[in-house]
Amino acid sequence: MVYEWLNERLDLNRFKRKYLTKVFPVHSTYFFGEIALFSFVILILTGIYLLFSYTPSSRLIEVGGKKIPAAYHSILLINSQPLGVIIRYVHHWAAHIMIAALILHMMRIYFSGNFKKPREINWLVGMVLFTLAILAGFTGYSLPFDALSSVATGIGYQIANSIPYIGPAIAKFFFAGKFPAPGSIPRLYMYHVVLIPLLLIATIGLHMLIMVKQKHSQPYKNKDIAKSGKILGIPLYPQQVSLMLFVFFFTLSVLFFLASFLPVHNVEYFGPPTLQTPMVKPDWYLLWIYGIIKLIPGNWVIPLGSSASIDPEVIGGIILPGIIMTIIALVPFMYKEKEPLNYWEPVSLRPIGTSAGVAFIVMFLALSVTGYQAALNIPIVICRIYTIVLPMVAFFITYFIIKRKKREEVNL
Amino acid sequence: MSEKKFKDIHASRRAILKGLLGAAGAGALGCMVVPFGTIKSPSGKKKRQKIVKGDKLVYAVGPNAGKEIKVSDLALNKGTLAFPKGKEEHNNLIVLFHAKESEFQKPTKLNYITKGFCAYSAICTHMGCTVEWYPEKQFSFDFPHLFCPCHQSVYDVFHGAKVLAGPAPRPLPQLPLMISDEVIAAAGDFDGPIGPLPGGK
Repeated sequence: MVYEWLNERLDLNRFKRKYLTKVFPVHSTYFFGEIALFSFVILILTGIYLLFSYTPSSRLIEVGGKKIPAAYHSILLINSQPLGVIIRYVHHWAAHIMIAALILHMMRIYFSGNFKKPREINWLVGMVLFTLAILAGFTGYSLPFDALSSVATGIGYQIANSIPYIGPAIAKFFFAGKFPAPGSIPRLYMYHVVLIPLLLIATIGLHMLIMVKQKHSQPYKNKDIAKSGKILGIPLYPQQVSLMLFVFFFTLSVLFFLASFLPVHNVEYFGPPTLQTPMVKPDWYLLWIYGIIKLIPGNWVIPLGSSASIDPEVIGGIILPGIIMTIIALVPFMYKEKEPLNYWEPVSLRPIGTSAGVAFIVMFLALSVTGYQAALNIPIVICRIYTIVLPMVAFFITYFIIKRKKREEVNL
Repeated sequence: MSEKKFKDIHASRRAILKGLLGAAGAGALGCMVVPFGTIKSPSGKKKRQKIVKGDKLVYAVGPNAGKEIKVSDLALNKGTLAFPKGKEEHNNLIVLFHAKESEFQKPTKLNYITKGFCAYSAICTHMGCTVEWYPEKQFSFDFPHLFCPCHQSVYDVFHGAKVLAGPAPRPLPQLPLMISDEVIAAAGDFDGPIGPLPGGK
C-alpha cells in the first residue's frame, strides 16, 4: 500500500528494474571491497558515538590533584561509560580491518589484472582512497593524546619538518605549530572527523559509480558462459543484498570479538604524555616505512647547497615510500592493451607483473620484520641484505613456477 | 549573411560564454581557496632559555621532580632525567648519569665531566624522542649507553655520545657540569644544537 502510493509518485518500479536487478558476479574475493566499505560504515557510526564525549584539546586540566590533558581525560571518561571502551576498541579495530581489507582488495585486482584498460581510473581512485584511509588512521591515533600518541604523532611532525626548504612550513601548517602546540589536537581532530571522512565519502562514491558504470570484472571461468557485455551472477536484490547483510553483520561481530579479547591502544597502559618516551612502534600498515627508516644509514645525507640537505629520514620516510606508492599507482600504465579486459586474466599471461607483485609483498613483510630488528636482535647489516635478497628470490621463484606451469600446459 | 557565416558567429559566441563561465567558476573557486592560505599557526615560538654557568640541576621526572640533585643522590651507574632549575622546557631536557671517570675518552669533553658525572641533551638528534640511560646490557650492547626507544639509536656515552647503532645523524650535545655546594650544576650551555634540525639544517 505504502509502496503503491510511493510508486505512483516516484516510479519505483523503474528503479527496481534498473538498479535492484544489477548483476553481481560471485566469488569470495569480491567481499574484500565490501568488508572495507562496511568497516568504513562502522567507523562512522562508532565515531559519531565517540564524538559525543571526546574533547579535542591538549590543554592541561586538573583532575584529582593531577594535571592531565583534556583529550586524555575525555578518553578516560569514555572508557568509564558502560559501552564506551568497547565502542572505542571497535572503532580502532575497524580502522585496522578497513586497511587490511583494502590491501587484500588491491591484491585481488592486481593479481587478476583488472587494473588494466578500462579500469585504470578506478585503480587511481582506489590509490587515493587507500592514502586517505592511512591518513585517517594516522590522525586518529593522535587524538587520545596519551604517551604513545604524542610520541608517534611527534615523529610524524619531525619527518615532515625535515623536508628541505618547504618542510618546516608544511609541518607548521599541518600540525598548527610545532607539535604538540595548543592548536595541534584541534587541527588533527578537524582532519580526522571532517576533512578526511568527507574526502573518503566522495572517493568511495566515485569508486562505486565508476564500478557500476563499467560493470564488474568476472572470474575467468565465466568467460565461456557469459559472452562479452553480459555478467554471470546474482541480482542485487534479494540475493546479493542478503549476502551483503551477512558480510556486514559478520564484520561487525568479528570487530566486537576482537575488541572484547584484544584491547587495542589501551591509553591507561601508556598514561598521559611524560618527558620519557615509551617504546613506540607504528601501526602495522606503517611498519614498512619504519623499517625503511631503520635501514637507511645515518650518513646518507644529500647536500643541497650550504643551508639544506636531504636527510636520511626524508629518504626513508618520504622519498622511498613516495616512489613505491607512485610505482603502484602507475602500474596500469605499464601495460598497453588494445582490447578492454573484462575477465580475470590468468597470472601466466603476466609472469613479470605477477612475480613483481609477490616480490613486493615479500619486501613489505621483510621491512615489517625489520621494524622489530632490535627486539629480535638481528644485526642491521643482515636486515639490509635480506630486504634486498628475499624479494629477488621471491621474484625468481614465482617467475620460474609460472614458466614451468606454462611449459607443462603446452606439452599437454 | 549566409547561413554558414551565421553559424560560425553563433558558435564563437557560445564559446566565449563558456569561457567566461569557466573563468568565473575558476575565480570563485580560487577565492574560496585563498582564505586557507591566510591561516597562521599561533606564533608562540619562544626562544630556548640558554643554560648558564651555575644553573643547578633538578629532577625532571619521578617523585623528586623539581628537587635539586645532590652529588650523594646518584650512586655509580645511576642516572636520571634533569632540567636546569627555572628553565624547565622540553629542549633543555638533560640526561645525567654517574660512571667511572677513567672510562671516559675523547671525543667526550673531559673537562665537562666532574667526579664521574656526565650530562648530555636527552633529546635524540633523529626524531626528538627522549633517550634513556641503560647502565647494563641491552641487546648486544653490554656496556653503559644511552638508548632511544623510538628507532633504537644507541649512543656511546664514553666517546662523546657517538652514534653506535640506529639512524641518529649526530651525537648528542654535551653539557658542561660543575659541583656547587654538593649540588650538581651546569657550567655553561650545550656544546651543539639540540634535537633534530629542520629541513636538513
